[in-house]
Amino acid sequence: MRDTRLARLLEHPAIWRGRSAAARSTWPSGFAALDEQLPGRGWPRSGLVEILVPRFGSGELRLMLPVLARLSRAAAARWCVWVTPPLVPFAPALAAGGVQLARIAVVDADPARWAFEQALRSGACDAVLAWVRQPRSREIRRLQLAAERGRTLGILFRPLHAAQEASAAILRLSLTPCRAGARITLLKGRTAHRGSIEIGLDTCASSS
Amino acid sequence: MRQLELTVIAEPGVKSGAVPARGAAVPVPAAPSPASAGPAATQSVAVARQLWAGVHLAGISPQVLQSLGVLAQRFSPQVSLVPPDGLVLEVRGSLHLFDGLAGLRRLLTQACLPLHPRPLLAFAPTALAALAVARAGRPLQIVDPARLIGQLAPLPLAVLRWPEETQARLARMGVRTVGAALRLPRAGFARRFGAAQLALLDRLTGRTPDPRQAVRLRERFRRRCELEHEITDHERLLRALTPLWEQLAAFLEAHQCGVMRLECRLLHRHGAATCCAMRFAAPMADVQRLSALLRERLQQQPLVEPVRACELRTATVPHQRDSHPLWQPGEQGGGGTAPCADLVEHLRARFGAGAVYGLVLRDDHRPEAAWQVSEPLLPQGAGIARAPHGLPPQPERITRVPVAAARPLWLLREPRPLAERAGLPCRRGRPLHLAGEPERIETGWWDGRGIARDYYSAMDARGVRLWVFRERAAPHGWFLHGVFG
Repeated sequence: MRDTRLARLLEHPAIWRGRSAAARSTWPSGFAALDEQLPGRGWPRSGLVEILVPRFGSGELRLMLPVLARLSRAAAARWCVWVTPPLVPFAPALAAGGVQLARIAVVDADPARWAFEQALRSGACDAVLAWVRQPRSREIRRLQLAAERGRTLGILFRPLHAAQEASAAILRLSLTPCRAGARITLLKGRTAHRGSIEIGLDTCASSS
Repeated sequence: MRQLELTVIAEPGVKSGAVPARGAAVPVPAAPSPASAGPAATQSVAVARQLWAGVHLAGISPQVLQSLGVLAQRFSPQVSLVPPDGLVLEVRGSLHLFDGLAGLRRLLTQACLPLHPRPLLAFAPTALAALAVARAGRPLQIVDPARLIGQLAPLPLAVLRWPEETQARLARMGVRTVGAALRLPRAGFARRFGAAQLALLDRLTGRTPDPRQAVRLRERFRRRCELEHEITDHERLLRALTPLWEQLAAFLEAHQCGVMRLECRLLHRHGAATCCAMRFAAPMADVQRLSALLRERLQQQPLVEPVRACELRTATVPHQRDSHPLWQPGEQGGGGTAPCADLVEHLRARFGAGAVYGLVLRDDHRPEAAWQVSEPLLPQGAGIARAPHGLPPQPERITRVPVAAARPLWLLREPRPLAERAGLPCRRGRPLHLAGEPERIETGWWDGRGIARDYYSAMDARGVRLWVFRERAAPHGWFLHGVFG
């Protein structure tokens, strides 16, 4: 009883709480347990997110697949650009995951960081996925600002040892494979819950 | 009754011997006017509705006059040149777009000033009158057709540009102004000075229409800029291109269109010309952006030799340009095609045409043939059907091969051979753990690239899920073909 009253009170527009202020609007991640953990209950619609993995292919793309599918099927969908993916994104698997292929553009560029920043800044994309080799912290700050300006979700995949470096990304999490699927640890997030959760990647990805 | 009589007189064979009563309209045989069927006792309706701007540009060169004619298309679609030094444009329809006569006068003067030091402007209901007033150097704005003749009357005869001899004869008769010439008996005037002169007076006052040939725009843009000295660095070269960009901007403005292809040629003293061609995903009209793209492109291309001249060319038919979107990107479905096309141009200008591509499905069970690279499709269904840069066109149908088993999100372009130990594939010296039932893909025998493989989902020692297969043919080798990601 008291909780519902409190909740109603907190819905009042004059009351601002740190947690809701941080995440203005989000995309549901497609994993209920992860949504609980993320600030604003989902991936931010604009800003840079870092996902740190021990090795390429640890499940990071399966983690993003539900949100990519949701973005691409939205009525006013913009592009989803993949900047210098290490391998070929396999179109049949993406289509089977619900992604509209017409919304995908792949960029092969040598200074990948430059292409990433252009894509973030352009306002043409809902999401930009990038595999950038050893970005410096100053560059990440630029990328973050570009993502805010273009109202784009930028996702930067980095190796796990980059967790030692400071980063201007609004959200950082690490992903390690485990028996259930993947263990996700929130490293940085504006007023988010800290701690690790385990989610099953395949079950959620296929059901969504 | 009279109409019938006049129609007979207007026949070409009849000379001006048969003269109707003084004061009645004289149909002029030699006049090129199409309205010779009936007399125009007053100004025609069309004339009453028109308003012309006349610009007198003393001592202008034909090329500059031509380019000014192109520039003036901004203000009206009906622009014609009056060589050697005049320009007239019909502006009644465009007055409200340019803040009335005063605004139009200001903008038109501004447009002319870079090309001519002292443009003289006047407005009148007929083209000839506007030009005559401008030649006289009087900044008149005659809007009311009823007051046209009264305003023209005090102008000297020289503004009509009649032959010297005619002007001298008229001066001897004491006729020195336009008004005095208009007061002369028409029949006698035609007989003494020729029908052409009378026709000119009629067109001046709007008695007969004055059809004019509009400036014809060129289909393609091609300008060359000879440099004063040879240029060796990019910065100065780009600065030297500025006048060409301005001309291109005027050209595109006049056509109300954008370019799909643009070529910049740099000419050297000895070697072959350096050619730098750019293609665009959507018609581009913004010269600033075009020049930024060219800068990007030129910086990729080292100058082998000093540049002597540069040239800009467009492809033949210009395309209608996009309108500006109302919404900001990211709100209410804003964004549209423009930012996407921009992004593609920008990336292609730097990394080449093949650097940006989309993905489509193909009806094939072979993993390597089940997808294809395509032209990226601009969102909002605004993708224009066109031949892309060597890439196959985007097929409309989205086919979906029924996928029984899970497919990995990543595919290797070429299957990578794996070592084998005790019947199991190995990666980095550690055996893979095969999970689940194999999936047999055996197809493609008809086109010579047949495959016969058993695909497994495998887990390596560090928890990465891989897609591996075993050849069914003789060596039975293991290969890595995908990563589940």
